Amino acid sequence: MTRSEDHQLVARVVSAQDTAAFGELVRRHQSQVRNFLRKLTGDIATADDLSQDCFMRAWDKMGTYSGRGSFIGWLLKVAYTTFLQSKRKSKRYAEILEQVGHVTEAESRSYATQSEEVTDLDKLLAVLTEEERAIMIMSYACGLSHREISDATSMPVGSVKSVIFRGKEKIRTSFDIKDHQHG
Amino acid sequence: MTSKIINMADRIKDEEDRLLESMFESAPIADDGFSKQVVARVRRKLLLRQLTLPIAAAIGGLIAFKPAAGLITAVYRILIGMPNDLVASATSNLPSLQLIVTGALILLATLLSLNMLEE
Repeated sequence: MTRSEDHQLVARVVSAQDTAAFGELVRRHQSQVRNFLRKLTGDIATADDLSQDCFMRAWDKMGTYSGRGSFIGWLLKVAYTTFLQSKRKSKRYAEILEQVGHVTEAESRSYATQSEEVTDLDKLLAVLTEEERAIMIMSYACGLSHREISDATSMPVGSVKSVIFRGKEKIRTSFDIKDHQHG
Repeated sequence: MTSKIINMADRIKDEEDRLLESMFESAPIADDGFSKQVVARVRRKLLLRQLTLPIAAAIGGLIAFKPAAGLITAVYRILIGMPNDLVASATSNLPSLQLIVTGALILLATLLSLNMLEE
């Protein structure tokens, strides 16, 4: 899977609305996008729905990909935006329900309890804020560079570094990483 | 001595990073028809987009047919008629403004619902 192959496929999508080329791009990157969203939401079904929405949005916005960074970096930016927008929508929905007197179950659930089986990673991610979680996943699960994360989150590189530092601190203090490391 | 401490700090940091990477690592997710579903959705969207304009044009054409026919007849009569006829045709044969506005509103509503359907 090379960057130039991705660029060629993107060029075919942008110039000729080639759905076969887009299908190839989806096949190549679906695993990383779905993994990113599964870790971020803690729920497989929601993550897969969001992944579909992410690729639909990517199809619409493909012309905005400049080719400067990696395609997966751009795709994860689209995925993160899709996640944030869906979160905003469900928050608004919960507010409306609250106004009419309904108690929303989804809002009261914490990150770690959303999935049926709580894994070590779920526990680890639960101590982080949403922003820290997204950035840590991009860095450690998706292997994005600080520059790519900065592009994906529209944050300065320095802020990305400090969020990662803060996230690591939290994980270190919550889980005693050093003991785990040596034992 | 200082450089040794710095190197050691880097090494510890790297080990910590590696540990985090291994904790965040997960098996690749099998496609299992996911990409086909996405492509099918994209193709549906493209098809709808391609159909929107002809459908809207057909509906608009149907709505506009009666007033347009009236307008053509009126223009025809104006062209061939006497000055007295001109006054008569202008008052009796020209399509009413109300009908044109209704047609335009229906066309707009159709376009909006097609757009919503596509979304």
